This record gives sequence, structure tokens and C-alpha cells, in this order.
Amino acid sequence: MFKRSGTGNYAYMSARVKAKTSKLLKEEDYNKMLMMSVPEISHYISEAGYSKEMNDLGTRHAGIDLLEYATYMNMSKQFRSILESANGELKTMIAAYLTKWDFENLKVVLRGKNYGLTPDMIREDLVIAGSLKEDDIERIISAPSIEDALAIFKSKTGLSVSDEAIHLYKEENVLTRIEDELSIGYYKSVLDSITGKDRATNIFRTYIKYVIDLKNIETIMKFKMENVDGSLAADFFIPGGAQLTDKIFAQANAAPTIEAAFNELQSLKVFEELKTMLSQTPNISLLILTMERFRLKMAIQVSHTYPLSVLPVVVYMIMKEDEVKKIRTIAHGINSGLDRDTIKNLLVI
Amino acid sequence: MAARDITPTRSVLLDLKRRIKLSQSGHKILKMKRDGLILEFFEIMEKARQMRAGVTSDFQLAMKKITIAKAVDGELNVLSAAYALKTYPVVNLSSKSIMGMMVPKVEAENVRRGFLNKGYGIIETSAYIEDAGAAFEKLLETLIRAAEVETTMKKLLDEIEKTKRRVNALEFKIIPEFQEAERFVKFRLEEMSREETTRLKHLKGKGESTE
Repeated sequence: MFKRSGTGNYAYMSARVKAKTSKLLKEEDYNKMLMMSVPEISHYISEAGYSKEMNDLGTRHAGIDLLEYATYMNMSKQFRSILESANGELKTMIAAYLTKWDFENLKVVLRGKNYGLTPDMIREDLVIAGSLKEDDIERIISAPSIEDALAIFKSKTGLSVSDEAIHLYKEENVLTRIEDELSIGYYKSVLDSITGKDRATNIFRTYIKYVIDLKNIETIMKFKMENVDGSLAADFFIPGGAQLTDKIFAQANAAPTIEAAFNELQSLKVFEELKTMLSQTPNISLLILTMERFRLKMAIQVSHTYPLSVLPVVVYMIMKEDEVKKIRTIAHGINSGLDRDTIKNLLVI
Repeated sequence: MAARDITPTRSVLLDLKRRIKLSQSGHKILKMKRDGLILEFFEIMEKARQMRAGVTSDFQLAMKKITIAKAVDGELNVLSAAYALKTYPVVNLSSKSIMGMMVPKVEAENVRRGFLNKGYGIIETSAYIEDAGAAFEKLLETLIRAAEVETTMKKLLDEIEKTKRRVNALEFKIIPEFQEAERFVKFRLEEMSREETTRLKHLKGKGESTE
């Protein structure tokens, strides 16, 4: 699916995302929002570019739900407009990157179908921010079985799962294997789509490879948190990372504690970065937050280096996702009565 | 039972004596049962108190974790993860006996799902959702154990109340009434015996005067 077709309209796209990036919320906006109530946050973000979505969805949702649906809808519109405006290999790379939202939607559909939700209930929970068109998603929703849904998804994105995973689903009625194979397939497809050899494309490739390393570190930590036999983790290793090989992955998984597993990663470049950012002994929540901060820091660092490349576009999408996440975190936190320090600690600022 | 309604015969007296003896031994046994139940109740009450504290703290922790999961990953992701699992925990109800009283025994299966059997993918599902799921599994386990203890405590309370009423009824109504009846029958029998003696003496005097 992701074939190169010309070099891409880098100059135009760069100018577009530059304008969009300037409209993103800043740190002081989040600090202000931390002092507001949910209706005040809704009003604040309406004035910061979310007004159309807030008005459109205002009749169907209210409160925290309205905020969540409106921010997702706004993000979807921005991503789709970027995808539609891009062309050539730039479009290929953006589409491959956005497949993660298609994958997210597929997960919602599969889980909903497996649970027995109605198509309307499934539709409500989708975030149409990926490269798939609404018609394609509709076909996946109305597919008679999970195998059919997977077949349609494969024909549109190229991401497939093994017969063994489907067999396991039929036998045990759990989607774990299918979802994990799709995750591994997604990262492979993004790496495969980055075919350019120039410096900027290489930076994007390196970024994705580091993201894979961080995902693998997260998997190690989850296994440690749950005290699950580390030897079972091999099936969940995502190949193609920057430095975290399957050997280091296995060694870290064999370590007895989270701290010992973290120390097994000493040979990685990210270890030093994470160690510097971690102020105390790593626990999984802290480590995940630190990794998220590191990922964002990496993205921001490269965003200005090559203006006429895929980097500003991808960095904008990363920052937009982060903006939506921050608004949601603040609103949910305030709505549930979490204290402001806890909410602030959850934010990746 | 009004004492005056009783036919004052020797067999009734014997029957009353037997019933008083039976009631007194029943009263003694019921008193022992009541005391035993009260002791058992205090033990269960302490357990229930700890359970309630456990439920409260587990509930607060689970709610905090789900709030954090919703904040970080969004309501949609949390909902979607919840839909991934189709199986439900199975609660088995049986009963056990405490001093002849049947109390429920609640056991559950499949409350804690293994990390690899949660239904959703391991790689992409956030650790916050995983953490919240584990906290709710723990809460459910505590609730099931608390349900057993709380029901046992309520049943014990009912049984203590019932036993107390029986003990009081025996002590202050049935046994005193039997004793009253016994006294009445004894008195009447003695009275009748005295009347009989007087009558015999009278008849004997009459016979002697005729001779």
C-alpha cells in the first residue's frame, strides 16, 4: 500500500504545519487550565481553536464527554487535512504513521464485536484520525466476523495477523495475540515506509526506532510489574528498534525486579537519558511518564532541524496528540477531584 | 396456659414435671447456644470491621487508578479495554454450619485474570489501564469475601435475636407457667386427698354411730 510516488510537497506542507504549530497550546495555557473547572476548560479551549467541534457535538454530549469527543474530532480533522494536502513520499510516510489510528480503531471494532456491542455503539468510540476512509471503517464495522474485519483491514493497510493468532482467538476468545501481532506489524510498516536516504528522513527513521525501543522497555516493565515469567515476553518484542536487541530484551526480562531490569538496559543510549530524567528509583508509572517526556523531547529537538522534510509534519502530529492528551488529563483529573499536583505530575510538560 | 384450665390429675402432674424438666434443659442449652453465638458474632464483627476497612481502601485505590487511567489514556481507551474481555467471574454459593445455623459460603473463580489473558494486547495497552484493572480485580475479591462475612454477621444477629426470644420465653413465660400449673395440680391433688380423708373419716363415723 505504501509506495513512493514522487518526492512530496515539502515546502507547502512545512508552511502549513508551521501555521498550525503556532496555534498549539503552550505550557502557560495548561497551567491556567489547571486552575479552572471543567466548564471553564471547555470555554477556554473553544476560544483556542476547538469551537466548531464543541458546537457541533454540544447537542449530543456534555461535560467531560463533550470535551473528550471534541478534542479527538478536532485532532482527526487536522490529521486528515494534513494527509489530504500531502503528496508523494511525504504522503506515504504520513499515512504509514497515521495507520496507528486505524489500528486503534480496528481494536475498538474488534473488541466491540467480540463483546457484542451494536455498530452504533462501536461508531461512537472511533477516532477517525488515520489513513482509512470512513467507508472503509464502515465496511470493517459491518463485517460479519472478526476474520472478515481483519481481511478488510489487511486489504487496506497491509497489516495482517497470522493464522495461529486467529486460531487462538477462536479457541480462547481473547484478542491479545491478534492485537500484539498488529502492533508489531504497524511498527514494521512505518519503518518500511521510510525509504528516503536523506538526513531528515534518517532522523525520522531513528525517531521511530527509538519509539520502538521505548515500547519494548515498557513491555519489559509491564512483565516485571505483573511478576510474569520473563521468558514469555519474547513474543511481544518489536524488532527494528535503535539499540534494544532481542538479546538485551531477554536479559532485562530475566531480571528479578523493575530496578534490576532497568539496570540491564545500561548499554542503551536511552538509559542515560532516562536515568538523568528519573529523579528517584524507577517505578512503572514514573518510568512511562519519563519515557513519554523523553519521546516528546526527542521530537521537539528535531522539529526545527530540517524544515523542508517530513520532520515538522510528524512533530506537529505528535504535539497535537500530546495537546489533546494534556487537555483530557487536566479535565478528567479536575472532574474526578484529583489534586492539582497529581494532575501536573501526569502531564508531560 | 392458665393453671385453672388444667385437669388436676396425677398423670397431668407427672406430665407437667416431665415438661418442666425438658423446658429447663432446653433453656440451659439455648442459653449456651446464645452465648456461643454472641462469642461467634464478636469474632465475625471484628472480621467484618476489617473487611469494611479493606473494601473502603481498595475502592478508593481502584477509583484513583481508574481516574488516572481515564485521565492519561482517555475514557474511550479505558472503555475499549473493558470490552476486550468477554468472560465474567463465576461466584459459587454454598453453605456451612455455625452451631447448627446455616451461613453462606461465597467463593469466586476467574476474578483475577492472568496478565496474558486480559483479552487486550500487551504491547499497546497502557500500564495505567492494566494497573486500574488489577486494582478492580482486588476490589472484587475483597467484596466477595466481605459479602460472605457481612451475610454471616447478619444471619448470626438474626439467630441471636431468635435464640434470645426463645430463652426469654422459656425463662419468663413457659417454665413459670408450667411451675404454676404444677403447683396448682399439686395443691388440688393434696386438697382432693384431704377431702378424701375427711370423707372417709366422716363415713367411718357414720357407720360406727349406726352400729
